[in-house]
Amino acid sequence: MIIPIRCFSCGKVTGDLWEKFVKLIEEENLTDGDALDQLGCKRYCCRRMVMTHVDLIEKLLKYTPDGRNYKKIEMQARNQEQR
Amino acid sequence: MPHKPPTQEELERRKIVGIHEETITDVSSSDYPHTYPGEDHSWDIESFKRNFRIEFHQNDPFEASFSLIGCDASIANAFRRIMIADIPTLAIETVFINNNTSVIQDEVLAHRLGLIPFKGGKEGLHKFLKWWRKPEDESQINNSYYDFNTVSLRLEVKCEHNEKAAAGETDPTKLYKHAHVYARDIEFCPVGRQEKYFSGDNAIAPVNPDILIAKLRPGQEISLSMHMHKGVGSDHAKFSPVATASYRLMPVIKIERPILGKDAEKFAKCFPKGVIGLEKVTKQEAAREGSGYEGHAGEVKAVVVDPMRDTVSRECLRHAEFKDKVKLGRRRDHFIFLVESTGQWESDAIFLEAVAHLKKKAQDLEKQVINMVR
Repeated sequence: MIIPIRCFSCGKVTGDLWEKFVKLIEEENLTDGDALDQLGCKRYCCRRMVMTHVDLIEKLLKYTPDGRNYKKIEMQARNQEQR
Repeated sequence: MPHKPPTQEELERRKIVGIHEETITDVSSSDYPHTYPGEDHSWDIESFKRNFRIEFHQNDPFEASFSLIGCDASIANAFRRIMIADIPTLAIETVFINNNTSVIQDEVLAHRLGLIPFKGGKEGLHKFLKWWRKPEDESQINNSYYDFNTVSLRLEVKCEHNEKAAAGETDPTKLYKHAHVYARDIEFCPVGRQEKYFSGDNAIAPVNPDILIAKLRPGQEISLSMHMHKGVGSDHAKFSPVATASYRLMPVIKIERPILGKDAEKFAKCFPKGVIGLEKVTKQEAAREGSGYEGHAGEVKAVVVDPMRDTVSRECLRHAEFKDKVKLGRRRDHFIFLVESTGQWESDAIFLEAVAHLKKKAQDLEKQVINMVR
């Protein structure tokens, strides 16, 4: 869901690597292998932690009480326009 | 017939674990009494002192690589296990959640917080802080926390809209305040004598301030306080001072018959870079009879440059042209350690502490054995 703090197998900290990893791939157009080398992931256990991570929390973050409120306001505005 | 003492060459040969195409031979050590008739291999402190060596290859604060040469696997393995499971570190152990409206559940959040490695003043961490023990009477738990066994931390974050954000902004970190909760948001609350040991640069703080703890959206809030205690890796991996502490045996590559020309280039490609070098056959070598180099002066030959870098992939044993020309092995008494610290200890200090720890364990055992025979 969110990037694990440590590698499951060896215990190296991976919690601070995800954002750097995404940045390296999106902004510097590196391949994932090169990006992981730059981040200092030497073993394949730590590499898989970052490489195979799916940041599902981004989807859950859409379902906030606040978010629903915005949808409601939006809908009300639309209804008023129709009238 | 009197027994002849073994030659130096023979002693070296006995130390090698044989690595063949499909099998591994001579796995167990043989330098103990009654393996060779007429030879005394009983353990002796003087000969151990003479033969034992430690060499450092790399000594960075959080990563060290060194060799223990001339000791038994049982000792090397004891050091490794002590480094992983017996060296105490400080970590978050209890989390008191006042409010958590984020999408990360309380128990997951507490687990994530526990795994964050912390650093702090060495004297305070190793000398001042003592063990915390859960009192037998649970109602007395609030009377068990003192400045010398508990470190208090707080995390208070609330996500709000950022009024200054540009219109049409889509990046949540700019659109909202505190959209991402990082380890650096954790606040240290010193109590009593902790002010003295953990102030300024010595303050208790996360080793990696950029660790992402949670993500929030406006209206969500995390408010909690934490207690840190000392613990050991055998209780929970979060207390382990090392990310990895491992050893491997020193690879041995022996070229028995010359590998020349194109074959030498192919041979070098069977190993990682830097293991095998290519040299020209000199006139003297070519002139020596029975060397296998006769008439090959000026051609390239394969030589072993740095066997330590080899991964012992055995690739060279798969090719018919190198058959009987090369022998692979590993030295049974040469351990190449790699210790990677999580940040609370320096990696070389972890090894020194492991040595002290093993000594203490042996002394405790000695007392018990003496009591037993009494």
